Amino acid sequence: MEKRLIKKDALAGIAKKMTEGFLVWAPVKKEDNVIFAPLGKSDEPFFSYLNSKNAPKNVFFPHTETMMKYTRTGQGMAFSSEVKKADKSVLFGVRPCDAHSFVLLDKLFDQEKYKDEYYIAKRQNTTVISLACVTPPYTSCFCTSVDGEPVSSDGADILLTDIGGDYLAEFITPKGEALAKYFGDTKADAQADAKKADIAAKAKEAIKSKIPAHEVKPILDVNFDNPFWNTIHSKCLACGTCTYLCPTCHCFDISDEVKGSDGVRIRSWDSCMFPMFTKETSGHNPRSSQKERWRQRTMHKFKYYVDMFNAISCVGCGRCVMYCPVNIDIRKIVEDISKL
Amino acid sequence: MQNPYVPYPVVVDKIITEVDTKDIKTFRFKFVNPEDEKKYAYIPGQFGELSIFGKGESPIGIASSPTQKGYVEFTVMKAGVVTSALHEMEEGTLMGLRGPLGNSWPLEFLQGKNIVIVGGGFAFTTLRSLINYMLHEDNRKRFGNITVIYGARNPGLLLYKDELAEWAKRADLNLNVTVDKGDATWKGKEGFVPAVCKEVAPNKENAVAVICGPPVMIRFTLPVFFELGFSKENIITSLEMRMKCGIGKCGRCNVGSKYVCKDGPVFSLAELDKLTPEY
Repeated sequence: MEKRLIKKDALAGIAKKMTEGFLVWAPVKKEDNVIFAPLGKSDEPFFSYLNSKNAPKNVFFPHTETMMKYTRTGQGMAFSSEVKKADKSVLFGVRPCDAHSFVLLDKLFDQEKYKDEYYIAKRQNTTVISLACVTPPYTSCFCTSVDGEPVSSDGADILLTDIGGDYLAEFITPKGEALAKYFGDTKADAQADAKKADIAAKAKEAIKSKIPAHEVKPILDVNFDNPFWNTIHSKCLACGTCTYLCPTCHCFDISDEVKGSDGVRIRSWDSCMFPMFTKETSGHNPRSSQKERWRQRTMHKFKYYVDMFNAISCVGCGRCVMYCPVNIDIRKIVEDISKL
Repeated sequence: MQNPYVPYPVVVDKIITEVDTKDIKTFRFKFVNPEDEKKYAYIPGQFGELSIFGKGESPIGIASSPTQKGYVEFTVMKAGVVTSALHEMEEGTLMGLRGPLGNSWPLEFLQGKNIVIVGGGFAFTTLRSLINYMLHEDNRKRFGNITVIYGARNPGLLLYKDELAEWAKRADLNLNVTVDKGDATWKGKEGFVPAVCKEVAPNKENAVAVICGPPVMIRFTLPVFFELGFSKENIITSLEMRMKCGIGKCGRCNVGSKYVCKDGPVFSLAELDKLTPEY
């Protein structure tokens, strides 16, 4: 594997240099938040962030996306499909938990039978550069409980690890190697490898929040009707913040918008927390209260996704824990399930 | 490869008002590009997304049989935004059709067996597809005895009246049409579907029951078939859920780990028993 060393203060310059040939998504400061946004000429990327407020899934799966366009004709609506050629892009400096989420989303959007061209086009044209967490960003981080690590190349084409004065750049995939020219020509030596291994072990050790995520699947298999579900949702406001910020939540709505004679069919993020999500025309709603919706969200992440794809659909980023306005904590829920 | 979200352009070729209340119509679509008809090769029990630009999409079971060439039919009740818009349409209008989606009635499993079809009300549509498929001269000998029990609230609400009359003349089909309450001109059976099933009492030997209808009909019909000795593996039904994408991605029609749109809509009772009871 190709490995190079770059000076710490060179990172922003590399990201900016890449904007000449790529659409570069990088962490930028917007008001009080750090979010991933396309880097403009005058923007300064901000790499000393803990984690971004939004999960960068919107790079591949935007909040709102045009699926096709149509025009009114004398006979009815004539339509044309719209799978835009995706810009050649770089997602620069994403945290390993979020990069892990792309591997999970691929399982859904890039299945053998039904391929989601909108997602795949953007995913294939994007190089993911992960920025390892050498110190755990938040006390709510629990990536090590859900198949992740703070210094992990899972889902990344290039992994950057802060090993003191320098970043160690590891080119994981051919897609990553193709960008090696941006990272100078200082080859990394065995000493850098040793430093990285030491830092990675310490970073892993420093993740203190742990949940028994792998233990709950067989318990969920047989506890659909457990009275446990009767109370976990009781303070939920159904605001949808957890699903909006979640790197692996992928539910969407498809709707039509018309303006004059032209219109678009769009898809936009939806949430299993919303009452209308499953409500049928007849009025029947299979998930009729917040109880069923919370059970669905929990089951989907820790049982259904495991049944379908043999993977837990949670990366331990802790966003839902941090930003839930009523402090519902998925870690506590999983912990409680393990004791059922 | 076909983008599964993009519909095929179709033209509304024929509209048949099925019922007295005029809120259930059969729409016959022809493909604008004739080669699309081949791509839309379907099996009875599958569904399509009827796509009206500016309104949205609605998942509806396919009512025609693949043995009927040159068109595809859907019987639609006027209910929500899309189906109401559809009911306003005139013949000749251009719209879209996605699919075919979902699994299907298990034709291979049904082959060589005696088939009992039980339908109630508006849910008869994909059963009609299956019946027409089995009755086709190329297929009839692949199936044993065919018994059909079909009920509606009143004679005016029976679907496919002309076809029912044709089927009634056939010797290779045991047709039992019933209404909850007849009118002055009704000469057929009166009574609820479960009662008629009891009276017809299909033999369980080498038989499969395919049952589709409103929940209340299903609830009272199943015990009749259990009493007749049908196993849960040999009772097949079809589920409905709110859907959008139809291809197992948008996340709303799952029952446990199964997506009704992709892994269903057809399940045997034995399979349903393994699913979480959330539909």
